[in-house]
Order: sequence, then C-alpha cells, then structure tokens
Amino acid sequence: MKNRWRQSLLIMLGMLGLLVSLGTAAYAQIPSAPSIEFPYTGNRTAVWIVAQLHILFAAFILGAPIFIVISEWLGYRKQDPRYDRLAKEVTKVTVILYSMTALTGGLFIFVLLATYPQFTTWLINHFFLIFAVIYPLLFIAETIVLYLYFYSWDALKGEKKGRHIAIGVLLNLIGTITLFIIDGPTSFMNTPSKATEGISLVDFIQTASLWDKIFNYSWIPMNLHRLVGNVTFGGFIAGLIAAYMYMGAKKEEDRAYYDWMGFVGNLIGVGALLFLPFMGYLYAYELCDYDASICPYMMADQLSMFFEMQGAMVGLIFLGSNYYIWLSMKRVEGVERVRMSLLTVLVMVALPFVMTYTWTLFPAPDPKSLAVLILLILIPVVFARLVPLTVSSRTVIKVGFLMVVIGNAIWMTPHGFVATQALSTEHLELPSDWSWLALMPAKNSAAFTLVFVTVVNYILYNRAIRQGTIVWGKIDFTAQFVLVFLAFSMIWTMGLMGAIRSLLRKYFHVYNLIPDFTAESYTPTLSYSAWTVTGITLAFYLVVSFAIIVTLRATDAKAVVPEGKPVPAGAK
Amino acid sequence: MKNVIKKSVAGIVIGVLLVVLAKVLSFPPVFQVMFFGYAILGAVVYMLLDAPSMRPLGGFKAIIGLIVFYAIVSTVYIGGASFLPQFDPEDEKGKIEKLLKAKRAATEQGKAEELLLRAKALSEKADALMARLQAVGGEAAVAGASVSPNGDKPAGGMPATAGGGDLVALGKEQWNLQECYNCHKLFGEGGKKRGPELDNIASLMTPDELRQKVLDPQSWMADGFEKEYEKKKMPDKYKELMEDKDVTALVAFLATLKNPSVNTPKPIKKK
Repeated sequence: MKNRWRQSLLIMLGMLGLLVSLGTAAYAQIPSAPSIEFPYTGNRTAVWIVAQLHILFAAFILGAPIFIVISEWLGYRKQDPRYDRLAKEVTKVTVILYSMTALTGGLFIFVLLATYPQFTTWLINHFFLIFAVIYPLLFIAETIVLYLYFYSWDALKGEKKGRHIAIGVLLNLIGTITLFIIDGPTSFMNTPSKATEGISLVDFIQTASLWDKIFNYSWIPMNLHRLVGNVTFGGFIAGLIAAYMYMGAKKEEDRAYYDWMGFVGNLIGVGALLFLPFMGYLYAYELCDYDASICPYMMADQLSMFFEMQGAMVGLIFLGSNYYIWLSMKRVEGVERVRMSLLTVLVMVALPFVMTYTWTLFPAPDPKSLAVLILLILIPVVFARLVPLTVSSRTVIKVGFLMVVIGNAIWMTPHGFVATQALSTEHLELPSDWSWLALMPAKNSAAFTLVFVTVVNYILYNRAIRQGTIVWGKIDFTAQFVLVFLAFSMIWTMGLMGAIRSLLRKYFHVYNLIPDFTAESYTPTLSYSAWTVTGITLAFYLVVSFAIIVTLRATDAKAVVPEGKPVPAGAK
Repeated sequence: MKNVIKKSVAGIVIGVLLVVLAKVLSFPPVFQVMFFGYAILGAVVYMLLDAPSMRPLGGFKAIIGLIVFYAIVSTVYIGGASFLPQFDPEDEKGKIEKLLKAKRAATEQGKAEELLLRAKALSEKADALMARLQAVGGEAAVAGASVSPNGDKPAGGMPATAGGGDLVALGKEQWNLQECYNCHKLFGEGGKKRGPELDNIASLMTPDELRQKVLDPQSWMADGFEKEYEKKKMPDKYKELMEDKDVTALVAFLATLKNPSVNTPKPIKKK
C-alpha cells in the first residue's frame, strides 16, 4: 500500500514537472512577451532563487548516482549488504529529488521567460539544438534509465546484479553528458567564444557554430568543477540522510548501520572535496586567462569579500570534516596504540611556510615547485624508518587541527578589508612587507595544508580500524550534528559560489556581449546575498528532509540478502 | 567547564600576543582583530576536541535540536557575511548607467524610450504654453512661438554639458568606469603590478599611440612586461565596449600624465 502511494506521488511529481516544461515551451512561442515584475523579491532575485534551487536538486541527482553505483558494486564485490542498502536508500531519495529537479527546471525557464523574455529568447535561439532537441532527449533517456534502475533493483539481483550495475553505469553516463551539455550555454554566458582577429565579438557570435559556442574558455573547467562538486555534495547529503535516520533509529542495528552510512557519506564527500580547491583554481585560472580583468574584479574588487566569505566556508567545511574523523576515531577501541612518524607532524607544520616560499620563487605551474612539494610529502614515507621517532594519533590530530586553523587564517587573509579596491587605504591594507600573505603562493600553500592534514587524518583512521575494533552505532551523538553541519555548509557554499559566478558577468547577461539594461544589473551586497543563499538553503533542506522522511522513515529497513549466491529473480 | 575555562584563557592569551606582535609589525587594527579572532577560533576548536560526549537526542527533542541548530548556523553565516565590508550598490548603479547609456540608446527599446521621453517633454511644453496662453492672452503666444519646437534646447541657448564638458575630466571618469585602476597604478593608487604604472606615459607615447594601445593591446608592449604581453593580460575588448568619444576622452586624460619622477616603463612598438 505504502509502495503504491509512493509510486503515485513520484508519478504525480514527474507529470507536474513535464507539464511545467511544456507550459514554458508554449510560453516561449509568444512573440515579444513583455517582462513582468516579481513582487517583494524583484526579477533578479526570483530567478536567483529558482535557478539555485534547480541547480541544487540537479547537483544531487547527478552526483549521487556516481557513488550509488560504486557502493552497489562494492556491496557485490565485498558481499557486504550494507553497501547495497546504502545505494538503494540514496536512490529512493534521488528518485523523489529527480522529480523536484524537473519541476524546478521547468519553473526556472518559466520565470526566466517571464522576467527576461528578450534575453532568454536570444539564448534559446543561439542554443536551439541543445534546448529543443539534445537536452530534452537526454532528460527523457535519463528518466527512463533512472526508473529502470530503481524498479529493477529487486529483480536484478544475484547472478543478474552485474546487469543492474551496468544500468547504473549507463545512468551515470547519460547524467554526465547532460551536465556537460547544459554547461555549454551556462559557461558561454561567462566566457563567450572569442572572436578571431579583425571580427567583432557580436559579428562572430552571430555566425559561430554551436560547437564554437559550447567549447568556450570555461566549459571544461566548469564541467570538472561541477562534476567533482556534485560528488562532494552527494556524499554530504548521504551523510545528512544517515544523520537524520540515526537520530530517528529505534534499533541498535539500525543505529550501527546509519553510523556506518554517515561515515561512508562523509568519506565520499571529503574524498571529492580534496580535489575541489584545485578544480576551483583551474576554473579561476581559465576565467582570468579569458579576460585578465576578471581576476582583480573577483579577488580585489567588488567580489573580494564574497571570496573572503567563500574562504571562510571552505575552511569551516575542512574543520567540520576533520572533526568528524576525530569523533569517529574516539569510538575505535585500541586507538591509543596507533602512532605515526614524527616526520609527518614536522612536514605538516612546515608545509604552508616552505611551499609559500617555493611558489614565490617558482610560481605555479613551474615544475620545480611541484618537485619540492612532492619531495616534502615523500619525506615521512621515505625516512620514517630511518628516524624511528613516533607520536600518538591524538597528538598528530591535535597538531593537524592547529595547522587547519593556520591554513584557514592564511587562506582568509585578504589584501585589504575593503569592499572594492577603489576604497582601499593603508589603514585597511596589509603592510607592504606582508602583502605576500594575500598572494596566490600563500593561498595555494594553505589549500595544500588543509588537504594534507585531512589525508593524514584519514590514514590515521585507517590504521586505527586495522589495529583496533570499531564499534558502529556508538559514535558521539555530536557527530550527527557535524554531518548536518557539513551538508548545510556545503549547500550554502555552493549557493554563494553560484552567485559569484553569475556576478562575474557584471552588468551583462552574456559577458561583454549582451548588456543587462534592467535596474537590477548591479552587484548586490554580500549581506543581501547571504540572506538569499540562506533562504534557498533552508528551502532546499525542507524539501530534502521531506524526501528523506517520505522515502525512508515510512518503510522499515529490511535486511538485504547477500549477493554471493544466485537468488531467484524477484526474491525479496 | 574546566576545559572551557582553560582553553578560553589560552585563546585570549595567544590572541593578545598575536595582537601585540601584529602591532609591532605595523599591521592595521582590522588585521589585529582578525588575528585575535583566529586565536579564539583555535580555542573553540580545541574546546570541541576535548568536549565530553553528547547525550543522544530522539523524537521531538531531536527535531527541536535540529531546528535550533539550523537557526544558529544560519544566523552565524548571515552575521559573518554582514560583518564583512559591504560594497554599496548605489555606487555601481550610476556607473552602470553611464557605461550602458549609449548601448541602451542604440537598442530598439532604447530608441522607443527616447522617443517616448521626447514626446512627453513636448507634451509638457505644449501644456505649459497652453496654460500661459490661457493666462495672458495673445502676447504670450508670440513669446511662446520662439521656443524651439523639438524642445531639446533650452531657451537660454546653453550648450549640452557633455559636448562642452572637460574632456580630461571625462577621460578620468572613463579610467574609473573601465576599472583601469585594477591593473595600472596611477597617482600612487591602485594596480598590483599586473600592468605598468602610467604616471609618465604621456612623455613616452603620443595620443595616437595611446589610442592604438587601448584599441589594440597587442600593438605595444611595456618594457619588463613581456610575460604579461605574451599572456595577453590586457583585455582586447575596449574597442567594442567603449564609444569612440569615450576612447578620445580617455586618451586626452592619459595624454596629461607627465610625471618624470615615476618610472613608467618604456613602450615597445609591436605592430
């Protein structure tokens, strides 16, 4: 009965999404439709809210299937039913959120057409093949494969499990292509393809091929940044699901399972998070390469304090994820026996200072600086046996936290505490002898320090569970709030970074090409942006919480049959 | 509690030491506060590390706990963002208006808006004339007829301010509107070595050469900026973003920069 109710809900949501999409397509046919004025929020904020909500849902439904399939495969390989249960439970939430993605996607186009009709029509015309053919086809294909994947879970088990995993791989393939395709117009708005010499940008874009427009400067970096970001996001949302379920669990075995799931979700989230600063760096590098004036605009001018806030958020996420490892280790029996080479601690402490100096001498991407970095990291690995001095895991983690705080401090030190370079005075700027603290070598070193400490903590954790005994279900309850915090902070950061990316276009819909003549083309204050991002995050949380409760709390967790022996198709 | 007191004292002591050190090293007060903040953050982190385990929450208490937690985190994030310096959108609104004025006027909508404005102005003038005619009779009608029918020139014959304005001042305005200061230092302000200091550029380049450089950045290279030149750091976009009169004004402003005490690098012709 419950299953039938859930299926009806899903179908209804799907139909609603489709109806909204068709409605928008019909609306788009109206010639020169006048723009409307959204009450209270204004047009820009209305688009901002709907677009951001859509991107958050889309990020989850594209990121989660990546680790869902990996989890299912691990469950099959290791014969550990927990992985299969994790994969299936996250898929259940994904299916609901998939409908929400379609719904908000349709709404997004609808609001965009109503508020910015001329520009939206222009964009659709320039990417007609994508918006009218490729994207809808991919979306339909993804819908079919997702439902096929979800509803064939019980039928394709045992010997047929491989086929089910193959469907999951296909789902990811379609999802990734969908992401890359839709990133074309999005990245184009930031970095429209450059004209060949002697031709104006306006003339060039009129005659440029679709591929020329898609394959712009920021397309590949944006694809990579979003792909990795989506996995991080999916991992932290899996952690959120686990936290909710742990809090509501009545049985010890459920608590043990959701404790484990929280750990795996966090591991996936943090694992992908380690690559994110570098993906972000690559993205920023390409943007600056496209137009060097973008760099000072975002780092030293109107968006500098947005980046300051972003730095604070990334620092907090690293602090939170390392704190979760600390709490996880506390429940490992025998953790006090785990020790680590003193050299690791020394490298950890030296890393930000040595690398700042090195990158100042040999700026990235000079291979000499990379060689120094590799040598530094290899010191504990190579010389640990020659220098047999060790320290306790507790000491390593505590020093690690000190370095995370120092890393955050370096990362967050701006050149000046000013909202724009034009307002800069010496009373608000770093002393000239210390200006290196605000330069890229110092920022890169800080990022590497955060990543290095996190990796060391995971190595310690790995040693702890090999040498000791892990007691699932007995984790400090604070850990559940840490998981909730990580998911919330990740979503908030995504919202802020999305705003930064859009604001980089300044007073243009398409940078340097299509000006935004509306009264709202200015940069909003950081405070206003924070209010908006918080509102969006809370709205998203409300829907996700609803999806978790509807899909998981409504059903009793059932034991999953191990996949070792052949099981008749359809067997429960 | 002992843990909290111990860590708080340690945090404050380290914070004060950092503030003193920052003061000695000539860091402005805002950075001294920032260093103190980091010391407190460190203390909070170590408090959390040694904090006792939390009692499990369930049911209604867990829901309340989550709501309170979300409220705290939201407040901290909004508060943190609001605490940082805020850019005033009003500053940018005027700037955007100036930058997009010509582009807006060139669009169909802009043309229609301009026609509407002119029609409105004419209508207002006609209404005023009618009122005067009605008030004073035939004499006023003659006086009223001397007003230009297109309504765009005041009776006093004053020229439009833009056309007769100070070209150098307009050029300086372009310097700010196009945010040249983000890359070029001038009068000791702005720039972070991305581009050369320009205080003495007029002693080294003629106005025509300056115009050529603005419109085609690859036409000239500043000595010592080979890497920046190779990477095409100066954006090749001003020929499309700027009106011809704006380029003229900017060049007029740059042509006044003759300060030999500043070592503006020698321009090298490349095209």
